[in-house]
Amino acid sequence: MRALSIPVALFLLAASGGCEPPALTDNGVIASFGGIGMGEGEFSYPRAITVDRNGHVYVVDKSARVQRFSAEGVYEIGWAMPEKTAGKPVGINFITDGRLFIADTHYHRVIVTDSGGVELARFGHKGYADGEFQLPTDVAVDAQGNIYVSEYNGNDRVTKWSSDFKFIKVICQGEVAGRPLLRPAALDIDDEQTLWVADACNHRVLRFDLEGKLLTAWGEMGRERGQMCYPYDITCMSDGTIMVCEYGNHRLQWFGRDGESRRVWGERGRQLGQLWAPWGATEGPDGLVYVVDSLNARVQIIRL
Amino acid sequence: MLALTLPVAFEQPLWLWLLLLVPVIATISVRTLAGLEPLRRATAIVLRCVLVAVLAACLAEPMFVRSTDKLTVLFLMDRSDSVKELQETQEEYIHAACETMKHADDRVGMIDFARNAYLQQLPMKGGYHIQPGRLPDIDNRDRTDIAAAIRLSLAMFEDTAKRIVLMSDGNDNMSDVLTEAAAAQAQGVSIDVVPLWYEHRNEVYVDRMVAPTNVEDGDMVPLRLLLHSERPTSGRIDIYHNGRLVKMTEEEYARVRLEAGNNPFSVKIPIRGGGPQRFEARFVPDDPQRDDSIEENNYATAFSFVAGKSRVLLLSKDTAEDTPLAEALQSEKIDVEMRDVSEGHVDLLDLLNYSAVILANVPANYFTDEQHKALSHYVVSLGGGLIMTGGDEAFGAGGWIGSPVAEVMPVDFEVKHKRVLLRGALALIMHSCEIPRGNYWGTEVAKKSVDTISSKDYIGVLCYSFSPGGVNWEVPLQLATNKAAIKKRIERMSIGDMPDFDTTMRMAVTGLMGTDAAQKHMIVISDGDPSPPSPRVIRDMVNGKITCSTVGIGFGSHVVEDTLDKIAKKTGGTYYPCRNPRLLPQIFVKESKVVRRSLISEDPFTPQVEYFSELLAGVTRDEALPMLGGLVVTSPKAEAQTAMVRMSTDGTKDPVLAHWQAGLGKAVAFTSGYWGHWGYSWVNWTKYSKLWAQIVRWSMRQESPANLDIFTRVSGNRGRVVVDAVDKDAAALNLLDLPAVVIRPDQTVQPLVFSQTGPGHYEADFDVDQTGQYIANVSVSEHGQHKGAIQTGLSVPFSPEFRELVTNEALLRKVVETTGGRWHEDVRDAESHDIFSHDLPPTLSKQPVWDWCLSWLLLPLFLMDVSVRRLASWLAFSLVCEAVIIVLLLFGLGLIYGRWWEIAAAIIVAELIGWAIRFRSIIPLVDYLTHSVTVLGAAGERSSASLGQLKGVREQVRSERKEGDVGGARRIEAEAAVGSVDKTRRFDVGDEAARDSVKDLTDDLGLIRPDSVQDGGKEAAAEPRSTESEAEDATSRLLRAKRRARRDLEQGGE
Repeated sequence: MRALSIPVALFLLAASGGCEPPALTDNGVIASFGGIGMGEGEFSYPRAITVDRNGHVYVVDKSARVQRFSAEGVYEIGWAMPEKTAGKPVGINFITDGRLFIADTHYHRVIVTDSGGVELARFGHKGYADGEFQLPTDVAVDAQGNIYVSEYNGNDRVTKWSSDFKFIKVICQGEVAGRPLLRPAALDIDDEQTLWVADACNHRVLRFDLEGKLLTAWGEMGRERGQMCYPYDITCMSDGTIMVCEYGNHRLQWFGRDGESRRVWGERGRQLGQLWAPWGATEGPDGLVYVVDSLNARVQIIRL
Repeated sequence: MLALTLPVAFEQPLWLWLLLLVPVIATISVRTLAGLEPLRRATAIVLRCVLVAVLAACLAEPMFVRSTDKLTVLFLMDRSDSVKELQETQEEYIHAACETMKHADDRVGMIDFARNAYLQQLPMKGGYHIQPGRLPDIDNRDRTDIAAAIRLSLAMFEDTAKRIVLMSDGNDNMSDVLTEAAAAQAQGVSIDVVPLWYEHRNEVYVDRMVAPTNVEDGDMVPLRLLLHSERPTSGRIDIYHNGRLVKMTEEEYARVRLEAGNNPFSVKIPIRGGGPQRFEARFVPDDPQRDDSIEENNYATAFSFVAGKSRVLLLSKDTAEDTPLAEALQSEKIDVEMRDVSEGHVDLLDLLNYSAVILANVPANYFTDEQHKALSHYVVSLGGGLIMTGGDEAFGAGGWIGSPVAEVMPVDFEVKHKRVLLRGALALIMHSCEIPRGNYWGTEVAKKSVDTISSKDYIGVLCYSFSPGGVNWEVPLQLATNKAAIKKRIERMSIGDMPDFDTTMRMAVTGLMGTDAAQKHMIVISDGDPSPPSPRVIRDMVNGKITCSTVGIGFGSHVVEDTLDKIAKKTGGTYYPCRNPRLLPQIFVKESKVVRRSLISEDPFTPQVEYFSELLAGVTRDEALPMLGGLVVTSPKAEAQTAMVRMSTDGTKDPVLAHWQAGLGKAVAFTSGYWGHWGYSWVNWTKYSKLWAQIVRWSMRQESPANLDIFTRVSGNRGRVVVDAVDKDAAALNLLDLPAVVIRPDQTVQPLVFSQTGPGHYEADFDVDQTGQYIANVSVSEHGQHKGAIQTGLSVPFSPEFRELVTNEALLRKVVETTGGRWHEDVRDAESHDIFSHDLPPTLSKQPVWDWCLSWLLLPLFLMDVSVRRLASWLAFSLVCEAVIIVLLLFGLGLIYGRWWEIAAAIIVAELIGWAIRFRSIIPLVDYLTHSVTVLGAAGERSSASLGQLKGVREQVRSERKEGDVGGARRIEAEAAVGSVDKTRRFDVGDEAARDSVKDLTDDLGLIRPDSVQDGGKEAAAEPRSTESEAEDATSRLLRAKRRARRDLEQGGE
């Protein structure tokens, strides 16, 4: 009996510990969809995501395709950007009136479509002057229908446009809170109608009122909780927190509006619950979080 | 997740005969396990039988067989020269065919091929994704290797129905297509063929041109031409001699009329001068539109070698600077041709025109990698002389470190001595670029930079990796002493998408400023879309004298050139827009020079003669050599002769003039020179001309021996070098050792092995599978002494692709027949071809599962078999079974990766089985518990009855005592008189009742039965006898006392 107990113990230990169970419930991942490829429902380095009011998920990838999925991740339709030779979009945003705003980065313009990909409008062209764009990264729309566009690469700024695509003003550019704005990679507007900016290469988050007055700025480069590394996306959550997608730290981090870190999710890796160079994340109408796991070519859906 | 319902096949079904052992083992086990209780024995036997069955199944190599209705179609696109006009048609065909795809799960892949096959699209869903005109260019279109494309395709298929669609003209000139087609058929792959039709009915090509290998200066060289024409036509033949058109009259066949078939011609060309003579014949039809459709096959080349006057080629970066040297040599009757290195192409055949080549302060980046190799071959294999003179862009300072030329030279371009030189530091910043094989080119240029810098310089590589924090020194900034290790680290780099230049460049600045380097340089390779560096970083770079050059690489307008251009301009670097990644290495060689300026020493010095070699003949021992203004620091090589040095104050000797024999040729290094800056005193020196004439003459190639006749011929893909050797009396020279090599068009060297096939007649064969010039060099030695070398060569002017005038339909049809594919006649009718029809036989994918059976069935069964026999408790056995089943279901079947209810179901199943086994042990336990309560209750009742009896007896005794003391006393006395009354039975309730009560309790509680302890009973029974004996002893003692008293009285009375 004693002789048998050792192999039994070893067997049970190997059987239980030898395989690494994916902690499906611990990390909150409830589904994942995508995969590398150019087929329907597959991604080639997805970089931006948004969710409409009905829960449909829109993902744009480096093949310059926009694909629409159901809330469960089932492919519905897809369409290609008008041009893609010079480069591909990195920003996409859906607003409540049913329009989709796509930052067509390397063509220095914003393209507006309906939820089926039919182009409704486009505005902007290459340049550094007012009313021009240099590599736009993201678009946000406030309650009045005004449009906010972020740019980078020598023209790092956020500009405000009217709902009929007329340039209004520069919200922020140059020195902000002691440092020049450097690659504002993402925008979002909260329920208090303030504008949140992910200042990616300064590794910080900025908050402005809609006229460009700086309200708050927090964040620093680092790997610890409360620090950031290349925040590429920012989302104002329904619970009042600010969700930041950190490209450099391969994680999501939630902050209070005062900059206090509330939660961290994800680490670098290939498993579910892990991320590799995530470019974007957003919140669905039912509170689910969709994160673009770029180098893993997938979207993970999490409930926290 | 595996599904148990999938059919299973066995690869080695003979092992299944072992199943016959199952009933035998069951029978034997019935006897051997007879000691076990029935249920346990039955369980053990069943487990043992299953164990044997699984073992037999494992040995039979079980395979899961799965049928799939998915289809993978791989398109093979022929991109060889013969069908280059049809590339667009083929692309359109693929797109049109994909339009007919009906099943979303079908996959499409694409492989293009010419000499090599390239995977352009992995099999993937969603159709063909490469836009028309966006296919990357491929190399080596001068051959067609259909077999290579089929071979690559077969490696790409997954477990689906497999179809190859081959688009080609069928003119394969590399390997056996049908063998590969048979392999495809064996793997169940069907090959559909879409023939690319062409037929050049009006075609003329120059089949060959033959020139004598060796001719004399002043001879008329007879050139023989063979032209092939498909129909009668007319035209003109242009003959070029060394690149110049030879003027010919009408009579000399400048105009020709060709008949259908082969048309031989010959023409004689006068030769003036020595060295190789290159001839080119080009046919120009009168009406190209009507008479000739392929222009590439209208010419042929040939060359002859003329033994003549030796010449020297002086390659200069600045001809004004080197004119004094050229004039000095000419004054010594040396025929010198000075050429600006930036003009014209230098190839191996050009070099053969010269007996020696001088590289006068020429940097390495003026030559391609192939030209570097050609210069090396020129010396080592062809016996030429190579002289390198110094200057600000020569030797190590000119980027020659790591080049094949450096191997040839008699000085080491790396500085070996410990004297501290001014160091250089180079930081490379690599950003992943959106070009095909972008990361490959990134690592290649980084390695090239490592090669070209000095081991005394620093180098480091920064890139954005996906480790936390992002930017890292993938190769920490370090001295390049161990270049192999650095290159290994570079090969392991993973170059990521860099968000900004600022962080990276700041790290580079910090690193560079931390070194003691005098020259600090940075090279950025990127598509320019990271955020630009901050003004502060640029300011730090300018203040720290760090220069930065940028290389913009990417598709079309994708490169954000503004950013890269600004960085370069602000820091004093250069911006290189680069559309062709093949040019990247040269850019990096050039840029790496910036950090090698430390190898230049510009302190004036007087050279010292270290060794009076033959090159210094005429220089006397007490003669003071003129001063030189500087040199490029090098180190001597051990085998070289260092004739002249610079003595440093610390005793170090820097080579100034060194020379040696390198292979068949000779090489000389003069690390100074730069006559307008460093060597003007030498130019005015009276012995300048003579010294340099001696140096050049020493290095010149030896002339060919006259007693060898050599020529080449080509047949198909094989070339042959033939040597006829005779002595001065015209007697055949036999059993000669003829070491020889052939230098191929790609500058690779192939040894030639000669076989003697007749008196003085030797032959050697070599592969002719490239287009261009093949140069063969045969060394000649007598009595072990090298006597020179003789060269020959042949030229393959155009690809065999251009000889094919009609589609090879027979071969293509054979491919279809072999593989059971379909023939699609018209490449412009993809819609009707139904390429994606699901009419292939069902595809069965087989997945071996013996290892799974071994891990997840055999071992658990073994464990359970041992457990059921060895574990006494059914409860323990049930726990083992439960654990085994949970592990098997969750991990063996992979349910752990499934949905929550699958995991729950697995746990429930295991629990049910576990509880079913436990039930066997739980029932007795319940019985035991319930039975104990019953028995204890009965025992209590019986105890109560016994106590009642006891009480009754006591009451009876008590009442009897109350009835009268007399009667009682009398009875006691009577009892005492009897002497048999046992005092222990005074309160006895009855032996039988007491015994029954004790028996019941003992049975139920497992205690010792009274009747089982006989000894104790005996002891208890012995107690009354002991009391009796005590009474007897008292009486005896009384009697003995009486007797003793009586005896005492009797004795006292006396």
